[in-house]
Amino acid sequence: MNKKLPYSVPPGYFDSLKSQLSGIPESKSRFSFVPYFALAVSFALLVMLGNFILTKSTASQPASDQEIIEYLIDSGTTLAQLESAVNNY
Amino acid sequence: MQELEKYFNQLVNKYSEPLYWHVRTMVGSHEDADDLLQDIFTKAWKALPSFRGDSDVFTWLWRIATNETLSHLRKARVRAALSFTRIDDEAERVSDPDPYFDGNAAMKNLRKAIASLPDKQRMVFSMRYYEDLSYEQISGITGTSVGALKASYHIAYEKVKQLLLDSD
Repeated sequence: MNKKLPYSVPPGYFDSLKSQLSGIPESKSRFSFVPYFALAVSFALLVMLGNFILTKSTASQPASDQEIIEYLIDSGTTLAQLESAVNNY
Repeated sequence: MQELEKYFNQLVNKYSEPLYWHVRTMVGSHEDADDLLQDIFTKAWKALPSFRGDSDVFTWLWRIATNETLSHLRKARVRAALSFTRIDDEAERVSDPDPYFDGNAAMKNLRKAIASLPDKQRMVFSMRYYEDLSYEQISGITGTSVGALKASYHIAYEKVKQLLLDSD
């Protein structure tokens, strides 16, 4: 097997490579708001979407009888109030 | 900060060219090697403040480069698998007409044979065969034992030899 490297590079490549690489510290130390702004917008959109889905799903599903009973018990509704509500219905 | 920048530029001047060849022998394509060099030096710059000199700078840089290159090769294999490209086709792509490849037919076959090796074997083979690194140096870079590296190189060498014989 021949150990000669069969590769070449464009003329002047290593000079331009060194010059590009030397610019890395400068480009990386520049503070950019763009990623933070994008992150904030994404988060806001996610919250809005979640809120929309939850609101829609809750509103579109009618409460079951059991859920209504639980609600009435939890809210301290008395039998008298229920009777009155039924009579006025 | 200025001291760090100065040191970083010294590293660029001293190591960018040998690191380019380190990466190029593993990935084959000039474009891929060029892109990887940017990523490698960006990582090196970010990690420079925490580089404590536990290992020498050569080992440190070569470790970053090797990890980046292996990650690149892994992604290329996944991409090839998702697009239903066979490994052989990927090896073929690597050895397709390349304006920066100036070897003869035998070297082209060698390049194709190396490209068909599993990533870690390819890495060990390239570091031994093209860069003449010792097993101890490769062990320092990869964290793999010398014995395991010797076994990997032997297997890779035999595979490459067989592939070259088959292509004749």
